[in-house]
Amino acid sequence: MMQGPDIGEVVLHHTADAYAIGIEPFFEWHWERWPDIHIGSLVINLTPTKHVFFLVLAAALVFFTMRLTGRALAKQKAGSRAPRGLANLMEAFVLFVRNDVAIANIGANGARFAPLVIALFFFILYANLLGLLPHGSTATGNLAVTGALALLVFGVVEISGIMTLGFKGYLRTIFPKIPGMTGVGATMMTLAMGPIEILGKLVKPFALAVRLFGNMTAGHFVVLSLFGIIFLFGNLGIWSWAIGITTMLLVVGIMLLELFVAFLQAYVFALLTAVFIGLMQHEH
Amino acid sequence: MGISSFALLLRVAEEAAEGPASPFEVNFGLFFWTWLVFLILLWVLAKFALPAIVKTTEERERTIRGQLDDAERLHAEAKTAHADAQQAAADARASAQTLLADARAASEKERTAAVEKLRQEQDAMLDRARRDIVDEKERAVAALRREAVDLALAAAGKLIEQRLDADADRKLVSEYLEQLEVTR
Repeated sequence: MMQGPDIGEVVLHHTADAYAIGIEPFFEWHWERWPDIHIGSLVINLTPTKHVFFLVLAAALVFFTMRLTGRALAKQKAGSRAPRGLANLMEAFVLFVRNDVAIANIGANGARFAPLVIALFFFILYANLLGLLPHGSTATGNLAVTGALALLVFGVVEISGIMTLGFKGYLRTIFPKIPGMTGVGATMMTLAMGPIEILGKLVKPFALAVRLFGNMTAGHFVVLSLFGIIFLFGNLGIWSWAIGITTMLLVVGIMLLELFVAFLQAYVFALLTAVFIGLMQHEH
Repeated sequence: MGISSFALLLRVAEEAAEGPASPFEVNFGLFFWTWLVFLILLWVLAKFALPAIVKTTEERERTIRGQLDDAERLHAEAKTAHADAQQAAADARASAQTLLADARAASEKERTAAVEKLRQEQDAMLDRARRDIVDEKERAVAALRREAVDLALAAAGKLIEQRLDADADRKLVSEYLEQLEVTR
């Protein structure tokens, strides 16, 4: 068997973050890692990475798309007739996320949270799609990025809860009234529910973070592993063609699936954010 | 081959678990960057991009709602106009029917009157004719009677060869004839 590259190494190298960007093998730009910052036992390194670059790129692209859409709409006098072209597509996306994801799930306060949900949807979508481009990197396939976004959502959910329900009302979401029980039993039951409710609150952002990270990483692993098949079995004479073609077809299929997943996961993240905010708004 | 790919997966998993490039390794610095980038994006979107999109679509929604309202109003108006027109047509038809009936009644009356007048005229004509016939008959009877008297007188004159006094004789014969008429 031909000595191919270490496929595991390749897979991890391609999905991992780095202190470098570039279009291999033409050029690559490395930079130095900044010194670590120690906060208690936590070690934080603020050096921008490849994923930070792609996050900034995604954010810039989202902003420019939205800005162009807004301008195109104004230029087409879309206030009085239907918009055309890209503006129409983007407007449909924005309105869908605003009306059917944010407002439909949050309710009366939906319009206030709509920019957050829209920003989350497009930011995640663009970051997902950038990872599908050649030489691109999936920032949303990084647990720290998805974790940060999920933690942000968690903060928004809980703070919006305190602001809407008041501090006492918010405490009720941790120590709920048990219907049909009175006296000492009810108090004990309420106190016992506390840890479970807190765990419930924490599980939501954790699921958000892991779901997005898992979906984004897994697809790339599958694609890269399929390519690995070529290197593993590429020395079987005439059969190498068959293996190459089969692998290519499989990879195209997976890439199409990835394209769908990129949209789906952005939608799921935005939808669940809206649902969690909505649940908190309507808590009794 | 199955074993080798399994071994590969195992190795990937091992490296993922212990190697520096593990996908499960969390770089806390990225939290800062993600928040920074996302919050800036959220701010500029909310401030500079989304209001324009939402504004135009809301404006369009208003326009469309206005147009729908207009259409509804126009539809209602058209409906009313149609009902009015139908009512007018019905009224016209009814009045035409009345006029026709009136005309028919008037012509009937006219005809009846004409027939009646004709009948009266016929009756009058018949009466007059009848009267004329009676008169004529009476006149003929009188003439005949006069002629008979004259003839009788002439015959009597001839018979007695004597011309009698005309008026006295005439009276005599007339009395005789009336007597005859009475006895008959």
